Amino acid sequence: MPEELPGQVTRLLHHWKQGDGKALADVLPLVYQELRRLAHYHLQSERPDHTLQSTALVHEAYLRLIGGKPLELQNRAHLIAVVSRLMRQVLVDCARERRASKRDGGCRIEVEDLGAVAITGDAELIALDEALEELSRLDERQGMIVEMKFFGGLTAPEISRVMGLSRATVDRDWATARVWLHRQMSRAAPL
Amino acid sequence: MMITNVSWQQVKDLLHQAMLLDPEQRIRLLDEACSSNDILRAEVENLLAAGEEVRASFLQSTPQAGEPYQYGISAWGGLASGQVFAERFQILRKLGEGGMGQVWLADQVFPVRRQVALKLIKAGMYDEAVLQRFQSERQALAIMDHPAIAKVFDAGTTPQGQPYFVMEYVPGLPITEYCDQKKLKIGERLDLFIEACEGVQHAHQKAIIHRDLKPANILVIEVDGKPVPRIIDFGLAKATTPLVAGDIPFTQCGHFMGTPGYISPEQADPGVEDIDTRTDVYSLGVVLYVLLAGSQPIDMRQWRQQPLEQLLRRLRQEEPPPPSIRVNSDRNTSAAEARGTEPRHLTSLLRGDLDWITMKALEKDRRRRYGAPSELAADLRRYLHHEPVLTRPASAGYRMRKYVRRHRVAVGIAAGLVVLLAAFSVVQAVQLRRITRERDRANRERDRATRMSDFMTDMFRISDPNHARGNSVTAREMLDKASKDLGAGLAKDPEVQSQMMQVMASTYSNLGLYSRAHELAQSALDANLRLHGPNDAETLESMAKFGSILFREGRFPEAEKLERQAIAGERRNPSADQEPLVEATDYLGFILIKEGHYDDAEKLLREAVDVGTRRLGPENKYFYLSHNILGIALLDQARYAEAEQEFVKAVEYSRRTWGSDDPRTLTSTANLAITFEKLGRLAQAESLYREVLAAQQRVYGPGNVATAYTMENLGALLVRESRPAEAEKLSREALAIRMRIHGPDHPDTFVSKLNLGIELFYEGKIREAEKVQRDALATKICVTAPEGPNCPVGRTYLARTLTKEGHYAEAEKVAREGYDALLRLSGPQHPDTLEAELALARALAFSRRYAQASQLFRDTIDSSSNAAGQGHLGGEWYDFACVAAAAGRSDDAFQFLNEAIRRGYKDVDNLITDHDLENLRRDPRFQELVAELRKPPARAATR
Repeated sequence: MPEELPGQVTRLLHHWKQGDGKALADVLPLVYQELRRLAHYHLQSERPDHTLQSTALVHEAYLRLIGGKPLELQNRAHLIAVVSRLMRQVLVDCARERRASKRDGGCRIEVEDLGAVAITGDAELIALDEALEELSRLDERQGMIVEMKFFGGLTAPEISRVMGLSRATVDRDWATARVWLHRQMSRAAPL
Repeated sequence: MMITNVSWQQVKDLLHQAMLLDPEQRIRLLDEACSSNDILRAEVENLLAAGEEVRASFLQSTPQAGEPYQYGISAWGGLASGQVFAERFQILRKLGEGGMGQVWLADQVFPVRRQVALKLIKAGMYDEAVLQRFQSERQALAIMDHPAIAKVFDAGTTPQGQPYFVMEYVPGLPITEYCDQKKLKIGERLDLFIEACEGVQHAHQKAIIHRDLKPANILVIEVDGKPVPRIIDFGLAKATTPLVAGDIPFTQCGHFMGTPGYISPEQADPGVEDIDTRTDVYSLGVVLYVLLAGSQPIDMRQWRQQPLEQLLRRLRQEEPPPPSIRVNSDRNTSAAEARGTEPRHLTSLLRGDLDWITMKALEKDRRRRYGAPSELAADLRRYLHHEPVLTRPASAGYRMRKYVRRHRVAVGIAAGLVVLLAAFSVVQAVQLRRITRERDRANRERDRATRMSDFMTDMFRISDPNHARGNSVTAREMLDKASKDLGAGLAKDPEVQSQMMQVMASTYSNLGLYSRAHELAQSALDANLRLHGPNDAETLESMAKFGSILFREGRFPEAEKLERQAIAGERRNPSADQEPLVEATDYLGFILIKEGHYDDAEKLLREAVDVGTRRLGPENKYFYLSHNILGIALLDQARYAEAEQEFVKAVEYSRRTWGSDDPRTLTSTANLAITFEKLGRLAQAESLYREVLAAQQRVYGPGNVATAYTMENLGALLVRESRPAEAEKLSREALAIRMRIHGPDHPDTFVSKLNLGIELFYEGKIREAEKVQRDALATKICVTAPEGPNCPVGRTYLARTLTKEGHYAEAEKVAREGYDALLRLSGPQHPDTLEAELALARALAFSRRYAQASQLFRDTIDSSSNAAGQGHLGGEWYDFACVAAAAGRSDDAFQFLNEAIRRGYKDVDNLITDHDLENLRRDPRFQELVAELRKPPARAATR
């Protein structure tokens, strides 16, 4: 990725690389929103592959940010899966960091997005992450559904389209996952 | 840990089944499923217990468009904790930030000491004009005095000109959150909501409109342990919004000034400048909707992804389902849990009065809304006091129910033919490809092939509605010219000529010009027979296609014969990809549906899907066709949920492959709309129909046959929603199209007349209805070739009309003919047959042969209880009661009415106004019944 590419994300990432720790805090919400918007955009507009190109910048920026390698996005489903996974990482990493450092503003996600998530505390979010990890071991598909719905913000019909599953399957997996996760989380850390 | 012995899949399946059941049924399920597996049982029970604790909000990831959306970083520095503002406010902490600015909690130190909320309007949100209006508005704000309105203590501007408000600090929760958190019941919610309405009413009397009412602005605090609502931010929207003509009212500098989902349609309409108090009534309606149903009437969760105009259009046009239907269609039980009840009970609580009240507040046209918040509150109070509410439309419920069954056949058939239209598009695409292939193979003929493909590109690409996009008139002219050229110009090339004929036949057919299509398709078949012999793939394919054109002309037996011939040929001598087989099988399946042989049709179609998948891959070009037709077979058999799945597959495939304006996409979308209608998702269905209709008129131009189907189906829906006059208009238009295209003797024209007859019947134009029905039954199809369910169903309708007019003897005769035929054709449990049985029973009852009628009625009810998805039969018992009453059997009538009510019938207004029950009204028992029905809905719970 050439250095002179325009865009706030790139600029902030650049600052961050040069040692400005605050730039990371600024870039996270930007990327989060953007990825989320893109995910929805792809889902709704049924665009052919070339639009993936235009989004590659953000992905690459983000993938570099989290230290991963740029990847080839094979199709929409893949994109959505990646985005959901990233969002999960963003949120959970934030929570972990904040809990570890006991300070505010280590990372900032738009209040609105967190508000939508009825998991309120950092501890709860981390517990969820761990429980979800466990669930994915039992049932990978179900884990992905939860990830897309909760972290990716996709609706059940969207998920059924992306994953090529019937709506009933998605609903069933989601309903049972909720219960399972709840139990798992209350076992792990009684509230 | 236990999962090591039992698979999670097992647990999951059983858990999910159990979650859908009542506690008692759960035990039974677990007894059965885990008889020998204690571990499985323990695990599922444990999870079920956990499920009980899952908070309603747990893992709800779907964001609500609550706060105005603000993207990016605010443009001004704002305040900081500890700062002293305007010399008398000690800033404590930030309470929130919205599109308009920031809100801070502050200690006012002078002249009185108190905590206040300080709202600073963001830079860029104000200018000279705003400041002026702000000055006049603050005067008004100061004079409001109502317990449900947070007080505005002061307002001013900073030396930099930045406006601010000083308001009472309300440490409460948004009304919806409060109610969910406290699990308030519907009645308690309404009490709070009514108080909020009164607050808004007070402001309106002071000529102040809120303009941004939403849960976040209606907070609930507890005063002496009692919850009270308090509305904040009154008048702020107006005080700070510039009103420039033509400006989009709720964006300014990229910031939303209203909240999508809560603003009224007129506020969302750039053309409307005079926003009045009724805009608040609408927003209150949305709040009420959320309080009752747990979600917003129009799903705005994805509004950020939509272009603004589209969003505005949705707000102005999309008709939300009534709350009871929303609750019912949400699988989620959390809404019911948060209201201290269970889903089924919640649905029945909302159905009726609360539906009507909410929907009236949400009328798109403000003239049809409640004129003031106080009127809305008054109707809610009437509901709470079990008095009749003012808004309720008379008899709608009853009409709706009756209509559902009556329109079935017409709808099913209508769905069917549109599909064929799409089938032809597929065929044509295949044909085009085949010609291209041909061209590649025959290098020596390259020049000719190029000429031909140019010819085709020029002529057909524009002439097919797939490509016409509104040019169908000139398309027709071009086609005529091309078909003339075809005879002369390509005479030396019989092979190419026959292929061209094939393509043109399809194109004519797409345009609804069947006689010309017929001629060309027949010539193509003849030519292929001559050139290739009877067993060639080419010949078989043209045979299949000619058959399908015959089918569209309504010549079913001939069509069936050809398709079977094509299939047999292909089976004898299979071609590599078996395309002709799949295609002919699809068509044959369709013909069988029309002839009422559903089982055979379904078997064939599933076979076609199989062969297609095996030979051509899972996403082959017949994928769409097979699933669409299969959907119709299921729809016709009242297997709606299965049909929905098939249509969704077809729609998704078509949209992905051909785009959303493609006739095939429109067709399958229309079919999906029909299915939604069947499933009771009326609002969804109507908006889909209208979408399809608009697209069809755009793509095909006026007067196309596909448009006629959609008009008829939409008409059916409108009748169901008690709008028969609108429906009649659509049906007449559709009938005119059919008469022009098919003439009077086509099955579709016949159905069109039946539809019209139904609408006239419901409008009370009984004589006209009779005339139209007799006219339909006198056409050739019912006289010379009376096969298929159409004519008998027509007789059922006519019998009803005749009964209504008092011609009982003839009614009986006609009904019996229909009933006998349907028994034979569709079997005793088919809705058509039941309907016919009912019509016969009515006719008998009115001609004083009550014993016979009664026998038939009991039979109908028995059969209906056996048939799937027939609900609780309250409506059937009600019908039964009507007949008993008409026959003078009051005792029976009351017994049946009680039965109807016990089974959920609750339409009091219909009971009072139904002509059939005339004989009962003077009976004291009637008054008792009415009183019973009007008692509090809570009774339902104790029963």
